[in-house]
Amino acid sequence: MLKMKQLGKVFHTGEVSTHALREVDLHVKEGDFVSVTGPSGSGKTTFLNIAGLLEVASSGEFLLDGDNVNLLSDSQRSKMRNQKIGFIFQGFNLIPELNLFDNVDVPLRYRGFDAKERKRRIEQQLELVGLASRMKHLPSQLSGGQQQRVAIARALATSPRFLLADEPTGNLDSQMAQSVMALLEDINRQGTTIIMVTHDHGLAQRAKRQIFIKDGRVSELTAVEGLHSAGLERVTPLHTHGSADAARQLGV
Amino acid sequence: MFELGPIFRALLRQKVGAVLIALQIALTLSIMVNAIFMMQNRSTLMARPSGLDEANLFYLSNTVFAQNYPHQAALEDDLRLIRSIPGVVDATQINAIPLSGGGWSMSLQKKAGEGEDGTGVAVYMVDEHGINTLGVELIQGENFQNTDIRWRAASAVDWPERTIISQAMAEALFPGNWQSALGQTVYINNNEPMQITGIIKTLQAPWNGWDGVERSMLVPYQLEGRNNRYMIRTEPGRRDELMPIVEKALAESDKNRIIRGVTSLEETRADSYRSHNALNRILLLVIVVLTLITAFGIVGLAMFSINRRKRQIGTRRALGATQLQVMRYFMLENLLITSLGVLIGVAAAIGLNIWLVSQFELKPLEPMLLLTGVVVLYLVGQLAVLYPARKAAAIAPATATRSV
Repeated sequence: MLKMKQLGKVFHTGEVSTHALREVDLHVKEGDFVSVTGPSGSGKTTFLNIAGLLEVASSGEFLLDGDNVNLLSDSQRSKMRNQKIGFIFQGFNLIPELNLFDNVDVPLRYRGFDAKERKRRIEQQLELVGLASRMKHLPSQLSGGQQQRVAIARALATSPRFLLADEPTGNLDSQMAQSVMALLEDINRQGTTIIMVTHDHGLAQRAKRQIFIKDGRVSELTAVEGLHSAGLERVTPLHTHGSADAARQLGV
Repeated sequence: MFELGPIFRALLRQKVGAVLIALQIALTLSIMVNAIFMMQNRSTLMARPSGLDEANLFYLSNTVFAQNYPHQAALEDDLRLIRSIPGVVDATQINAIPLSGGGWSMSLQKKAGEGEDGTGVAVYMVDEHGINTLGVELIQGENFQNTDIRWRAASAVDWPERTIISQAMAEALFPGNWQSALGQTVYINNNEPMQITGIIKTLQAPWNGWDGVERSMLVPYQLEGRNNRYMIRTEPGRRDELMPIVEKALAESDKNRIIRGVTSLEETRADSYRSHNALNRILLLVIVVLTLITAFGIVGLAMFSINRRKRQIGTRRALGATQLQVMRYFMLENLLITSLGVLIGVAAAIGLNIWLVSQFELKPLEPMLLLTGVVVLYLVGQLAVLYPARKAAAIAPATATRSV
């Protein structure tokens, strides 16, 4: 479904070049739930941006459902985002001037659904996140957890096969975070592939796969059967350069 | 499909800036339309035909300073001399210059006697060369004969028996049947009869602001006096060449007078409408400045709005909006704001026009002008928002995940 081969991303500021991602090899299969952890500035957001077609890699190959996205135009990437990817942002990114109905409607309009179909999907998704009765409310009239649930409804409204979540619980208290995480797990169980960036190791461990990023290098951590609850993990390097860093980070 | 509903609802929640711009658009529309309306009125006034062969006419003043001067003989000599110059079509002495602002007016009435209704008319005293010199079109009756021409002393109060009037004057005297004016007797100075022996199509009075500017009459008079004016018509394209030649010929033929004020009729027209032209230019400047201010206002509001909504635009891009769809969003938003402005502006323009019409006796605003103003404002709005919309479209989708 999602394949990255030797993917790299370099940002140029004046004469300074910053390698945000280095030689990333990753294969995410249909139905996966992948958590991405790593220290601040490690390249998590850049990884998410590239995976979500928000940015283009500087080098390497990125295939999404077999299409090399590096070769797509901006417009084609927009359409692919709209059709295949749903986004959940740390800051919810709801449009403050629009009520919940109109917020969830945003990607559906870009998809070109007719009014009847849009209404059906909006109501269905708001029902799913338990906010159907508040669809005329503005985001500012909701709690943080409720806003994130609206963001999830918006992300799911286009029936994406692929959900990208950037610190979805970062702005929520632990109870709200658990609730949102449970919702994501439920969504994953229904077949949607999820990649979730998080700082919360507890939540990260609930994913089926765990990716660790440091200094732009990606490693995969595989939970050892029976040791999961003790928090002990074994590092399976996705890339040789990243494994040592990842292991040090976890104190293994 | 085009997000008009959500854009409208979003605007309702952020209405201050939008309403201010809409009011600016409304003000611009109402002023623009009425300014153009006033300009059109002035242009229409300025475009009225004088009836003269303006391009080939010039005139000059002849001021005699010698004592015991043979006025009649000198005048005849002068006109003979002018007419003999190659390139001159004809020449006549004339008491007033059309469009010059200074002239002679009288009143004609259909019945003799004091207290009878009279119609004001501009008086041009010319000889039998008057019609050909001025280039006016005789549409009924006949020109003066040489025998009709009388000398008029400076102190004279009587009038000749014949007159040729303009069609507008005939219409004013005989409403609805101007042709019947020919041969009729009208009265000047209450009781002096004059027979209308000819009707000319158009001859404007010296005063362009007079509502009877089309009403004029030719009288077969030649003036005896120290100050005379000669009107000279040249062959097409030779006016400028002949102006100094005629001036020099007259000056050299007689040293007892001064030839001065050699002026083309086109210069006189330009002088006559100078204030109208100046006002039109000022109004045009007002329109341009106001339109530019509105355009910059739209640009400013849009840029402010885009800077404030960078994250939101990035989010829209992340959710699948193409660059074109982002541009369309801002152009539609502007369209809605402009529509509100236009709606208020049309009402204000009509209101202002009603006031102008009542104050200055103008014709009402033409719907087509209002429609043109609306279209122009929509175009200005869309053009003004184009640059900010392009800037918005250029915002990277990754902005959605950044702290901005």
